[in-house]
Amino acid sequence: MNRTDGHFDEVTVLLYLEHQLDPGRLSEVSAHLAGCSACRGLLHALEGESLWLREALAAEEEAVPSYLTSAPQRSNTHWGWIAAFALAMGGVYTLWSGFIQPWYAEASQAGFTQGNLMTMLFFSGAFWKGWDSMRTLMEFLPLATLGAIGVWVLRKQWRHFTPVAFVMGAVLCALAMPPSAMAVEVHHGDPSYTLSAGQEVKTDLIAAGERIRIDGDVDGDLIVFSPSVTVNGHVKGDILGFGQEIQVNGPVDGNVRVWCQSLSLNSSVAKNVMSWTGRTELGEKASVGGTITMFSGASELDGRVGGDLLAYVGDLDLNGTLGGDANVRGDRLTVGSTAEIMGQTKFRGRRQPQVSEGAKLASPIDVTLRKPGPNYGQIAYYWHAVLLWGASFLFGLLLLFLFPAFFARAVSTANKAGVSIGLGILLLFATPIVAVIVCITIVGLGVGIVGLLVYAIAIYAAQIFIASWLGEKMMGIGAGIGPAIARLAIGLAVLRVLRMVPYVGPIFGLLFTVWGLGALALAIHRSMRTQAVAAA
Amino acid sequence: MDERKTTGTMSEADLARLLSQVRAGDADAWGELYRQYAAAIFRFCRRVLPAREDAEDATTEIFMKVRQKLGTYDSSRPFTAWLYKVASNHCWDTLRRRRIRQDLETGDLDTLPLEHPDPSQIERLQAEHTSKEVRAGLAKLPDRARMALALRYYADMSYDEIADTLGVRRAFVGVLLLRARHQLRDALTQGGAFAALKASAGGKS
Repeated sequence: MNRTDGHFDEVTVLLYLEHQLDPGRLSEVSAHLAGCSACRGLLHALEGESLWLREALAAEEEAVPSYLTSAPQRSNTHWGWIAAFALAMGGVYTLWSGFIQPWYAEASQAGFTQGNLMTMLFFSGAFWKGWDSMRTLMEFLPLATLGAIGVWVLRKQWRHFTPVAFVMGAVLCALAMPPSAMAVEVHHGDPSYTLSAGQEVKTDLIAAGERIRIDGDVDGDLIVFSPSVTVNGHVKGDILGFGQEIQVNGPVDGNVRVWCQSLSLNSSVAKNVMSWTGRTELGEKASVGGTITMFSGASELDGRVGGDLLAYVGDLDLNGTLGGDANVRGDRLTVGSTAEIMGQTKFRGRRQPQVSEGAKLASPIDVTLRKPGPNYGQIAYYWHAVLLWGASFLFGLLLLFLFPAFFARAVSTANKAGVSIGLGILLLFATPIVAVIVCITIVGLGVGIVGLLVYAIAIYAAQIFIASWLGEKMMGIGAGIGPAIARLAIGLAVLRVLRMVPYVGPIFGLLFTVWGLGALALAIHRSMRTQAVAAA
Repeated sequence: MDERKTTGTMSEADLARLLSQVRAGDADAWGELYRQYAAAIFRFCRRVLPAREDAEDATTEIFMKVRQKLGTYDSSRPFTAWLYKVASNHCWDTLRRRRIRQDLETGDLDTLPLEHPDPSQIERLQAEHTSKEVRAGLAKLPDRARMALALRYYADMSYDEIADTLGVRRAFVGVLLLRARHQLRDALTQGGAFAALKASAGGKS
């Protein structure tokens, strides 16, 4: 720090201005300033610059996020309710599967109803009517709306809700769990499990292992998790299976519900069959007393079905007998010469169904052919798009009103596009796998199923946050609820239009989903950290 | 009276009472403390970190640290000084972890010309640029320069505190601040002296 050209350099003048010079130096500079207008000019300029910097740095040009100023209030915490709601959903599911559905099944056997709740809902309820245009709307909105209303109502009831809600949810689960949990026999195969012929399990049987073979009888339900499952014995309850190959050769008095690569059914099932499979085969000797609901890649039905058939399939070969209606959606339907369908047959697919001459049909097949990809020439296509926009907008509004702080946080998190997309890709593919693994840990069955439901809701919600983010980029950040709604509406409309672009539309859709999913997960993480600050 | 930025108008006595309540585990008092200072800390973070969401996260994390470390706070010193110390350490650590510090290391005084600039140029710059433009210019500065200016002119930190936070010798804080001012002037005039300075320093900055 020296004099230059008879003046003090800028550093020295700045240190003088900021009172950082030692006393000796201070006196020297003061004396010089008194007689040097150039150095005084520099001092004033630097002083003005300091003030200029302070004003610029202190300016409150953008709003502080509301959650940052209000987060510490415990009553703003939603997580307790969300956890309680998840627990309650687990409890409701258990109640439904443990009490309501069996009751309906008994009523069904007595002739009061037709099939179980699910098949009634799918086949004859109002839910099914108008399915074409309302499908997406109905897939997500009821669950999300009910959940949101539930959370909102409960929030209004108790101010200090977290412990109460948690206990309430836990109690509900505890009440719902015991009937199935108390009377159960559990086996982990090492590595495989076999119930030998002649042996009998008097309760429900839950088994997991590399290979599971059931040659004996099970008085209750059979729940299996295994790559290879063979059931030759008599199951007096339901079969619930998760695995790769599941073969049922023994009689089943209840229902069969499976999630697997391949299901082969060669025996009698007194009630209903529901399958999510790569391939489903109903052998010639197989008979199903109730209905069949299947989501399957390829299927062959050679046996006898007493009730209705609902199939979402790639290919379906129908050679057996069907006592009720057939409602088939898929790529190809082949009705063989030995087939007999006593009710109405509807087919919606890409190719004309093949019907052999010998096939006996109560009425001609009602065929609706659809072209691959969207039909841009039809008004219905655009009306459908408007409906989908409306559904997502309503759902977005719910989120916006119920969780405004979290909503803003999730939208802000979407700025981290790279991290969000990476995390979203991971979650999109890993979550179902983890949920199935959680299901295998027997206690976690309810948790796993609830997890999958939450996953489905999260995938739908993902677009909401990306739409709002996009709206923010287009319209800027305006304070208040009005601009927030406008951003949501505009953003969703743009997203919907982008999804309709030929060829690249689905890629956009996938991108928005993974991006939003990642942003949602990151926002949850950030919120939990905030809550840790608030509640610590 | 400590003049550092806060959003509240709390007296020293009220603040002392509030802090003692927080230390005693009073959740409502903690909420009040948070509300008093969260906005100011968020703005500080917004000035020194590259993105808004980084500032939001940092604010949350800073208050987590404040909560944890409140027991170490010496009540004979201004609370805001301590709070900004925690905040600046956190932000500086964040930048350092990300390895996006691009500015010069300490002690390179030779890259700063010992000149006597024309005061009228500095004053014209002030007259020609709005606060918004200054903030946009600040965002273009290297992290340490931006951090130094925010610590000094937003958080009102002393040279000792700045030296401690940024890990430089106290004697270089003035140089650091002056260099930051030069960089800001050049950012606002798009090129000029700082660009020439970089060239003469062999592109070290």
